[in-house]
Amino acid sequence: MRHRLAIFAALCSVAFLVQLCSAQELRVPESTIAGDDAAISAGGGGKGTLYVVGPGIAQKSDVNLGEDIHIPGKELHNAGAYLVIVCSSSCESGTLYVTPAKPYSLAFIVHPSRVPVGRNDAISGVAFPFDQYRNLVRTPATVNFELNAGKESLLSRAVHTQQGAAWFRTSSGRTAGTVQVMASVEDISAKRAVQQVASDPCNLRITGGRTKKGIEVQTEPVHDCAGNPVPDGTIVTFTAQGPQGKITVDAPIKQGIARAEMEAKGAETISVASGVVMGNELRIGAQP
Amino acid sequence: MKRASGFTIRDFAVGVTAMCVMCAAVTLSSYAAETSVQVQMDMSKATPRSMEPLTERAVLRDYRFAWASMAQALEFNSVDPLQGPFEGDAMRWLKNTVLSQQQSGITQRYGNQSHRVEAVFYSPEGDVLELHDTVQYQLQVSDGGKVVHDDPVTIRYVVLMTPGADRWVIRQLQAVPQF
Repeated sequence: MRHRLAIFAALCSVAFLVQLCSAQELRVPESTIAGDDAAISAGGGGKGTLYVVGPGIAQKSDVNLGEDIHIPGKELHNAGAYLVIVCSSSCESGTLYVTPAKPYSLAFIVHPSRVPVGRNDAISGVAFPFDQYRNLVRTPATVNFELNAGKESLLSRAVHTQQGAAWFRTSSGRTAGTVQVMASVEDISAKRAVQQVASDPCNLRITGGRTKKGIEVQTEPVHDCAGNPVPDGTIVTFTAQGPQGKITVDAPIKQGIARAEMEAKGAETISVASGVVMGNELRIGAQP
Repeated sequence: MKRASGFTIRDFAVGVTAMCVMCAAVTLSSYAAETSVQVQMDMSKATPRSMEPLTERAVLRDYRFAWASMAQALEFNSVDPLQGPFEGDAMRWLKNTVLSQQQSGITQRYGNQSHRVEAVFYSPEGDVLELHDTVQYQLQVSDGGKVVHDDPVTIRYVVLMTPGADRWVIRQLQAVPQF
């Protein structure tokens, strides 16, 4: 009787082991780096179907259970969660996370493209490091921001990325011209350009006199407070106030000077403005 | 009343009614898909720029619509719902997923979506928004109609959104093991 029980127990154990061996034991690595191969193993024997469903991929293939299954790196370019399913008589699944590779490029956004000189916190930039497969790299990296206007350095700052983003904000310089803005991480860099233009006119002054037709007025060369010439095309408004009423003429700056002719015969008081800046007043007597 | 061509007013009325019913069905289906996406959004930690309430509402609306569209695209193997809510890299890999599904006969169903979204970065000029989304959903994978996987999952996504011409679009949608 004891022998029979022992034989029965042994048979049960063997049956259990056989069952255990034929069952799938899916082993999926927790993570791999984008572009690297991944190896998974499904226990048991015979044929099965492998499904890999993730960002950019949804494929199935036949596999031999009990052998290592390789997923080539070219199918694991996109960072994210990949669901690996192996089916034979039943289905088992696991999740594989693909993490970004090392930084390969920088997405660098700089604002604005044109900025007046001498403005506080007027220039800002944001940089995101990406790997060669365009995955956002979130592991902390140091981004060096540099702003140069000619030989003058406006900013040099090292910023650690937080959640994949690094940013800066700074004031514009004193001189009109192109500012080179550069962001770099290790040996990767991205360059942008910001055009600094003259700010509002400063000390706007006009001169003028009578002509046969009326009054001719013109500005002195128009500069901002830092001495940068205000760009051509900037509108200057001349206003003549006299006994006949008010005459207003808008004139663009050409070669640094704005000119206007007004048909006015009486004594006139002429004022000038550009944007929010007012200039001097000029009094011109009536036509003799 | 009959026209010379033999096309009756009744035929016309039947046609119009059928079209209306079809349009209503499509509208209801997309509405149902969108309402099945629950989104809780917290923008209070957005830095360095704080978010205006109107912008917050627009982001919430467009984010929910994007996920509803993605679910539709992956369930019905069509790239059409992706046009608009997605751009750039997110659009590229989603399109590739749909094309790959079309070839293999696989479909995915994202059911009962519940998103807990937190803004972690909003650029100084308001042109880039980074979100962290912890989403729970019932993921069903089918092969030719046969369900091969059906489990609730919790996935964390890092999302980059930018303002487009008429909406906020998702440019990057990347699942991560942890934030």
